[in-house]
Amino acid sequence: MTTETVLRPAAEQQYAAELAALAAADDRPRPPRWRMSPQAVVTYVLGGTLPDGTVITPKYVGSRRLVEVAVGTLVTDRALLLVGVPGTAKSWLSEHLAAAVSGDSTLVVQGTAGTSEESVRYGWNYARLISEGPSEAALVPSPVLRAMQTGAVARVEELSRMPAEVQDSFITILSEKALPVPELNLHVQAVPGFTVIATANDRDRGVNQMSSALARRFNTVVLPPPATEDDEVRIVTARAAQLGRSLQLPTEPPALDEVRRVVRIFRELRNGSTVDGRTQLKKPSGSLSTAEAISVIAGGMAQAGHFGDGSLGADELASGLLGAVVKDRVSDSAVWQEYLEAVIKERVEWRDLYRACQDLDTSGYTVSGA
Amino acid sequence: MAPRDPVGRDRALPDRVVLLGIRHHGPGSARMVAAALEAVRPEVVLIEGPPEGDALLEHLPSLVPPVALLLHDEAEPSAAAFWPFAEFSPEWRALTWARANAVPARFFDLPAAASLGAEPSEPRAVVDPLGVLAEAAGFDDPERWWEDVVEHSAGADPRALAGAVAEAMTALREEFADEVDERTLRREAHMRQSLRKALKETEGPVVVVCGAWHVPALGALPPATADAALLKGLPKRKVSGTWVPWSHGRLASSSGYGAGVDSPGWYAHLWECAERGDAVPRWFARAASVLRAEDLPASTASAVEAVRLADTLAALRGRPSPGLSEVSEAALAVLCGGDEVPLRLVHEKLVIGERLGEVGEGVPRSPLAADVARWQRKLRFPPSLEGKPYRLDLRKDNERERSKLLRRLEVLGVPWGRPDTTSSLGTFAEMWQVRWDPGFAVALGGAARHGTTVEAAADRVLCQRARDADRVAPAAEVLSTAVGCELPIAVLAARSALDRCAAAATDAVELLGALPDLATTVRYGSVRGTDPELLRVALHGLLARGAVGLPLACKGVDDETAERALVAVNGADDAARLAADEEHQAVWRRALRSLVGMPDAHGLPTGRATRLLWEAGELDTAAVAARLHRATSWNGGTASGATAFVSGFLRGSASLLAADARLFDLVDEWLSGLAPADFDDALPLLRKAISDFSPAERRLLGDRVLGSSASSGVVSGEWDEAVAERLAAHVRALLAGVSA
Repeated sequence: MTTETVLRPAAEQQYAAELAALAAADDRPRPPRWRMSPQAVVTYVLGGTLPDGTVITPKYVGSRRLVEVAVGTLVTDRALLLVGVPGTAKSWLSEHLAAAVSGDSTLVVQGTAGTSEESVRYGWNYARLISEGPSEAALVPSPVLRAMQTGAVARVEELSRMPAEVQDSFITILSEKALPVPELNLHVQAVPGFTVIATANDRDRGVNQMSSALARRFNTVVLPPPATEDDEVRIVTARAAQLGRSLQLPTEPPALDEVRRVVRIFRELRNGSTVDGRTQLKKPSGSLSTAEAISVIAGGMAQAGHFGDGSLGADELASGLLGAVVKDRVSDSAVWQEYLEAVIKERVEWRDLYRACQDLDTSGYTVSGA
Repeated sequence: MAPRDPVGRDRALPDRVVLLGIRHHGPGSARMVAAALEAVRPEVVLIEGPPEGDALLEHLPSLVPPVALLLHDEAEPSAAAFWPFAEFSPEWRALTWARANAVPARFFDLPAAASLGAEPSEPRAVVDPLGVLAEAAGFDDPERWWEDVVEHSAGADPRALAGAVAEAMTALREEFADEVDERTLRREAHMRQSLRKALKETEGPVVVVCGAWHVPALGALPPATADAALLKGLPKRKVSGTWVPWSHGRLASSSGYGAGVDSPGWYAHLWECAERGDAVPRWFARAASVLRAEDLPASTASAVEAVRLADTLAALRGRPSPGLSEVSEAALAVLCGGDEVPLRLVHEKLVIGERLGEVGEGVPRSPLAADVARWQRKLRFPPSLEGKPYRLDLRKDNERERSKLLRRLEVLGVPWGRPDTTSSLGTFAEMWQVRWDPGFAVALGGAARHGTTVEAAADRVLCQRARDADRVAPAAEVLSTAVGCELPIAVLAARSALDRCAAAATDAVELLGALPDLATTVRYGSVRGTDPELLRVALHGLLARGAVGLPLACKGVDDETAERALVAVNGADDAARLAADEEHQAVWRRALRSLVGMPDAHGLPTGRATRLLWEAGELDTAAVAARLHRATSWNGGTASGATAFVSGFLRGSASLLAADARLFDLVDEWLSGLAPADFDDALPLLRKAISDFSPAERRLLGDRVLGSSASSGVVSGEWDEAVAERLAAHVRALLAGVSA
C-alpha cells in the first residue's frame, strides 16, 4: 500500500525513507530485534540530520529527557505508560516509538469499556474449533500475543478505559513475559524485543483506576502540554501542513500568523489568563489540546481550499475556533463571549477575527447572550 | 591575574609545588585532593581560607561536618563571615589529611581582617569556572562533567588531573580576564606571598588546595615587591572566631566561598559511596525507603527497575555512569509513577538531604553561645532544622522558661521562635513556631558583645533601646517586650523611659495610643512575674497626662487627626476600664466630659466621648438627645462638623444599634423629636453618618426600624391620627418641594 492509496498511512509507511536511512547509518549496538539503536530511535522521534545529509523530521516537539526516558524504558524491556491530558501526543509518540523500534506500529489494542479479554490474550476461530477441536490453527492470537511471538512492540491505547479485570490480564504478560493457553496445554513465551507501550488519559484516571499491581509494572512518563507558545506553533504548523498534504487540500500552507493566533487563543483559555498575565479568564470545559488546535487549522484550510480563496484567514478560523472552545453550549459560550469581548476585541490587529466571530454569532451559531 | 611582567622576571614555580585546582564542595575534587595528598605526601599544605582560622584547626577532631568557620571582628562582632565545610569539601579533605599525618596545614587566603565589614554586600562576580567548562561541554551538572570528563579520562594519577585542570583554567582566565576584580587580585597576591613563605620554610613538597580559578595566578611567581605593593594599606583589625555547626540547607545558599551547591545531599551520597562503588543502587534503595516512610508504594522490585533505567539512560546519553539527572528521571518514571509530588519529597530528603553538623564541647564558643546551648539542654529544647509548633503553658515552669528564652533570643536578633498570632489561646498559653537556622550563629556572635548570658545580653539590649526611645509608642513597646522577657532591670528602664517620653509628649493622642498595649501587659504581667502595680502606676501616669491633654488635642484638628483621636479615645476607654483603678477611671471620665462640653472640638471624638459617657451612665438620655440636637442644629458650625459628631457617635455600632433597645430608642427619640425643618437638615447628615455601615448592617437596621413600627402598629391596632397627619403633611410638603 502506498501513501497515496490510504487515508492515513501508518508511521512506518509514511516515514519509511527516514527509517531506512536511520537504520543504514546506525552503527551502534542494537538490542535484540530492534530495527535500530536506541540513540537512533531518539533521533527519529526528535529529528536531526544524519551524516549522509538525510534530514529526519521531528515527530515529537518537547523535552528530550522525556523521550530518552521513554526509549530507555523500552531498552530495559519494561512496559512504558504514557500519561497526559487528551491531545498531548501520547498515541502519536507511542506509534512512532513502535514504528522505529520494531518497524510495526499496527499491533494495537484499543481500550474501551467493551474491550474483552480475548482482544488482550487470544480468541478462537469457532468454525474451526467446532469442526477440528482445539488446535493452534483454531487459535486467533491478539495483537499482544503476536507481538510476544515476534518480539515486537504491542501498543495499548487508553489503558484506563478498559475494565479492571481486562487490565489485570496484562499483569502475567508483563511480569512473566509469558501467556499460558490452558486449552492447548501451551505456554507461549515472549521472545526478546517484546514490550508494551500503553497510553492513558489523565482526566480518565477515575474511570478505571489501574491496580497498583499493574501500575508498578509500568514506567510512567507524563507528557505535558507544549511548554512554550513557539513549540506549540511549530507542532501545529507542521501537523496541519502534513494533514493538508494527506487530505489533498487545494490550499497554501497555513500562514504562521494564523497558527500563532489560534495557538495563543488556545493557550490563554487553557491557562486561564492572557499571555501578559494581566487578564484573568474563565476556563472552558474542554481540554483545548494541541491536537484540537491542529484540527482547527486543518479544518480552516479545508474551508479555505474548497469555499474560499485558498488562503487561510480569520473567516475560516472562526467557526472552527467556536466549535473547539464551545463544548458545553451554556457555560462555554459565556466563556467564549467573555474572551471575545475582553481579549480579542482589545487586540487591534485581531479586529478581523473579532468581526468574523461576531458574524457567526449574529447568524445564530451560538446561543446568544448565554 | 598576576601582573604581567614584560621582561620575564616571573619565576616559574619549583616542581615540588603541586597546585590542586578544585571546585568548592565538589566530591570529585575532594577525591582528587585526597589521592594527590597520598601520592605527593607534602610537608606543608596550603588551603584557600582565612589565615585567622589557623588557630582554630586544633579543634578539628571534635568537629562533625557540615561545620563552618565563623570569624568576626572583635571590636564589631556583627561584622562576621563564615567558611562552610562539608564532608565532601576538598578543603575539608586536605585539613583532615594534614591532621592525620601531622603535617602543618595553613589557610593562605587574604586575611579576614581585610574583608570583614569592608564591603557588607559586595557584588562579587561569581564565576564557577568548572561550571562554565561543564556547561560548554553540554552538561547540566558540573560534578557530572568532572566525573565523566576528568576522572574517567585522565587515568589514576591525580597530579596529571590537576595539570589538566590548570591548563583549562588558564584558557578560561584569559577569556574571562575582565571579570577578575581588584579583590581577587589582592587575594591572589596574598596567596603568592604565603606560598613564598612556605617555600622558604621547607625544602619538601608543598601542596596548594585552592579554587581552580586561582590556579593560573599561582602558576608563576612575579617579584615579591609587586605583590607587596598590591597588599599595601589593607585594613588591620583583631579577628577572632570559632567553629559553628552548619547544615546542608545552608550549604545550598551562597557563602564566603561564593556560589553554593544545589544538591549537597547527592554530593554527600556520592562521596560516601565512592569507595564501595554502589552509588546508584544505594541511592534508589534510600529513595524507596523515603517513599515507603510516607506510605507511598515503592517496592524493591521497582528500585531494581529504576537502577536499570538509570543505567540505560546514562548509556543512551553516552555517559559512563548515571548522574543526578538520570537517577531523578528514573525515580520519577519508575518509583513515583510520573508524579512530581513524591519526587519532590525525594529531592528534599535526599538531594538536599538536611543534616546538621556538630561542634564538640572543647571548641571555644562565645560565652553567649555556650549559655544558649546550656539553656537548650536544661529546658530539653533542642535546636531542630525542621519547623515545629510548640504550645507553651505559662503556668508550667519549664514552658514559661522556654517562652522566656525565645523572647530573649528574639531581642538579640535570633528569631528561633516566631509567635503564632493566628490562634489566640488566652492568657496562659502561647503558640510558637520554632525552627533553628545555623545562620543564627552569626547573629549570636554579633550579640556576644552585649553580654555573656542570654539574660544579661537581652537586658542590656532592652535597656539601650529604652534609653534610645524618644516617643511614647516605642517606649511602651520596649516595656511590654521587657515584661515578656521577664527582665526586671529592663522593665524599670523602660518604665522610666516611658515616663520621660510621656512628660515630653505634647500630643495627647499619642499618649493615649500607647494605653491598650500597656493595659494588656498590666493584666497579664502577673503571669510573667512582674509586679502589676509597677505597670499600673505607669498606666495611670499615661492616662492622667493623656486625659488632661485630650480636649485640647481635639480642638481645631483636621479629619485625619480626628480619626486617630477617635481610635485613641476608644482604646484608652477600654484600657481605663480594663486596668485603671477607680480614681483614674474618674479622671478619664472627667476628661471625656470636658471634651463633650467643648464647643469647638472636632465632632468625631466628641461624638464618641458622648456615647462612651452615656454608656457609662454619666450622661442621661435626655442630655445625649440634647447634645445630638445641638450638634445637628448648630448654625455656627459646618455641616461636616455635625456629620462628624453623629458619625463619631454611631461609628462601628450598627449591630449594637439594632440590638440595644436603649441606644436605638435614644436615636429614635431624638429623630422623632425633631421639628420638620430640623429633620430635613439632619437627614443628609444622618445618611452620611451611616454610610460607613455595610449594606448588610444597614439592612439589619432597616429591619429593626420596620419591626419597631410594625409591632407598635399591631399592638395599638389603630392609627395615631395626629402623628399620621403630621407625617402625611410633611411628605406632601416634601413632594411639593420636589415637583416645584
